[in-house]
Amino acid sequence: MSHEPAEAELKDLITIEELCFFFGDNQVLKNINMPIRDKSITSLIGPSGCGKTTLLRCFNRMHDLYPNNHYEGRIRMENRNILDKGQDLIWLRSRLGMVFQKPTPFPMSIYDNIAYGLKLKKITNRSIVRDLVEKALRQANLWTEVKDRLKESALGLSGGQQQRLSIARSLAVNPLVLLFDEATSALDPISSAKIEEMMVELKKDVTMVVVTHNMQQAARISDYTALMYLGSLVEYGETNDIFTRPKMKMTEQYVAGHFG
Amino acid sequence: MKPHSGRLWVNYLALGLATACALFGLGLLFLILYDIVSHGLTSLSISLLTQDPAGPLGRGGLKGAFLGQGLLTLMAALVGVPLGVLGGTYLAEYGRDKKFSKVIISLCDLAMSLPSIVIGIFVYSILVKPLGGFNGWAGSAALAVIMVPLVMRTTESMLSMVPWTLREAALALGSPYYQVIIKIVYRQAASGILTGILLAIARVAGETAPLMFTSFNNNYFELNLNRPMPSVTVSIYQYAGSPFDAWIGQAWAAALMVTVVVLFLNILGRLLVKVKKA
Amino acid sequence: MNLKKLPNSIFYFLTFLSAVGLVVLTVGLVVTLAVESRPAFQRFGFFRFLLSTDWNYTDQIYGALRPLTGTVLATLGAAVLAVPVALGISVFLTELCPHKLKSPIAVAIELLAAIPSIIYGLWGLFVLAPFVETYIQPFFSGTLGGLPWAGGFFQVRLAGGLNLLTASMVLAVMILPFVASLAREGFDQVPEVLKESAYGLGATRWETILAVVWPTAQKAVVGGIIMATGRALGETMAVAYVIGNRHGALDSIFSPYVTITSVIANEFNEAGPIQMSALFALTLALFLANLLVLSLARYLMRQK
Repeated sequence: MSHEPAEAELKDLITIEELCFFFGDNQVLKNINMPIRDKSITSLIGPSGCGKTTLLRCFNRMHDLYPNNHYEGRIRMENRNILDKGQDLIWLRSRLGMVFQKPTPFPMSIYDNIAYGLKLKKITNRSIVRDLVEKALRQANLWTEVKDRLKESALGLSGGQQQRLSIARSLAVNPLVLLFDEATSALDPISSAKIEEMMVELKKDVTMVVVTHNMQQAARISDYTALMYLGSLVEYGETNDIFTRPKMKMTEQYVAGHFG
Repeated sequence: MKPHSGRLWVNYLALGLATACALFGLGLLFLILYDIVSHGLTSLSISLLTQDPAGPLGRGGLKGAFLGQGLLTLMAALVGVPLGVLGGTYLAEYGRDKKFSKVIISLCDLAMSLPSIVIGIFVYSILVKPLGGFNGWAGSAALAVIMVPLVMRTTESMLSMVPWTLREAALALGSPYYQVIIKIVYRQAASGILTGILLAIARVAGETAPLMFTSFNNNYFELNLNRPMPSVTVSIYQYAGSPFDAWIGQAWAAALMVTVVVLFLNILGRLLVKVKKA
Repeated sequence: MNLKKLPNSIFYFLTFLSAVGLVVLTVGLVVTLAVESRPAFQRFGFFRFLLSTDWNYTDQIYGALRPLTGTVLATLGAAVLAVPVALGISVFLTELCPHKLKSPIAVAIELLAAIPSIIYGLWGLFVLAPFVETYIQPFFSGTLGGLPWAGGFFQVRLAGGLNLLTASMVLAVMILPFVASLAREGFDQVPEVLKESAYGLGATRWETILAVVWPTAQKAVVGGIIMATGRALGETMAVAYVIGNRHGALDSIFSPYVTITSVIANEFNEAGPIQMSALFALTLALFLANLLVLSLARYLMRQK
């Protein structure tokens, strides 16, 4: 169940190769090539409509829930192509957790929210479930706040707590990757700082891909950053390089706040 | 074999069941439509609209009933629509945010949910019993009582959707409130209100129960609202209960006509909203 | 100066009067029903009237119990038959149906809800009742009818296909579009992102429906179901023919019976004074039952 200890050299967990994505006839992702490195945080930044959320939703094939779209190219993970027609989506989505902009507590107790993913995986042994729920809540820095009210409805938590609950719920099933879609943009600065802090701690266990509007956030927490514009990847590199020594003129302008 | 093939199995089974239910339900509803059309077309002829009722063996029609139903509905609309629109205007404009309006809105919802037979009985007791006999006025009144809350409620919600700033802008130009309502707010909400009116007319045009004890029925051509007034729906009810094939056939044909008219009004109402949105 | 304000005052007064008109109508309706039903309550006593099974034209003794139970049973039967199918339709429409078909089907269902009840009544009388007589009655009396104790409730005692079950079936068909539309509205309120986060955990569509869609929409859907089912209580034209309108003991689901509306529709125009008052009392009971159902549905639908 547990991961291998992190290697000194970060290896590529996922590689995106020549990825194109279409809504109907409208091409919204254009020939994207980039790696996602293991046990790291990768930020996707860019102006609204640049395709960063669309790209994020390719990783767990969220687009498959809706009609009239298709993928081209490959997203490789663990020797398989995520975009294969025969890809088992249930397996895939249990390996790549997703956290949304709005907190999404299910209408059940705090405990049952976390245990839900475990139940799907047919993990039903009471004490194992209890341990995994506690572990996930600790990882999400929520345990101390909710440990005495696990049986209460999750809908009674504050916005920030609900978001950490959503994260804990994804963590409980021991995913390889967590996908964050603007996960802090609807929260107040304090709640948002708590989540950032948690994400940095989580790096030892899980790989994260983060879509964000907030450039400071990308600079603060991520190891790698990708700038997208009009469906194309403009530049990918170590966060430090992107923000201080960008190769492309457009990147320089964007991180300086000149457009977007 | 995937590790969660059991879950997938349950998934497909449950969703298959839901789809089967949907197909069954939709199929059943369209089967009814088919039955109405096929039975109706078999007995439909122009004499249904041009002839007076004849004995069970003659080739009669329901001319008077069609005219009567039209007249009853028209009279109901003439009373019900203004009352409903004005009342809705009070709820959304002069009385907005007043507690009294909230009470009336709840009463509207209650009145809208009332079984139409209850309204028929009520009107019988205030307009038939005191006047000494069934009459067309009572039939129209019963239909109007059904229409008023329907029109009032749609008017209220359509007017409430017009942004408040629009009124402020007009009031700031110095127009009196009633002119703002009539010239600007009504115009903005016109298609929605019209749809509400059409749906309300469609609703009462096919009513039977409220007419059975008010305008009753009449075998003759009748335009005098002081006398019992023939109507298609009550005629369908009486003919269908008879043992004569010719009458039963006419009931089916009339039912087809009623269905077509009601569906036509409904579709027209929906199209109006669509056109406005586009 | 005052003359300038006059048109506005007149318009205000007209709108106010119309709004008050509705109050007068509703209050008037309740008062009228109460006044008209008083003779029956005085003659038979309030509770004796409600709990008596008498319906005797020669001795002029009337009781409400049979029409009341008939109304409740026919409505419950309709709900039992219609709700599963309607839930299937609404789940299909919100979660499964191809997007292009979704709104045409939804509109078609709403149009079917607009068809007047006399039409459904006609269909029930000439299509459904014969079907029940030739296929359903023999099937049930041949199978469940042989059960030791409950069997009697499935045996055919009067031929013809006009009975409680047929009435429930017509009502079920009639309320089906209403229930399906209102349930669909409830399901449609579930935010897409909530469903996505269940899918994001690797849940199947069905598991998502169970874990997220149903618990979130539950109250709105149940409220909608109750409200739509409530329409069956006062349905007249669809029931008046097919229930058979017979004031006898209810010994089988295939026996003709009475509902409040069938009694009113069939007897009102020929009723003597005390019988008419009893019919008014039944109408009052129907009004109250409707009020109760509506309030319950509103309460549930307002809850978040």
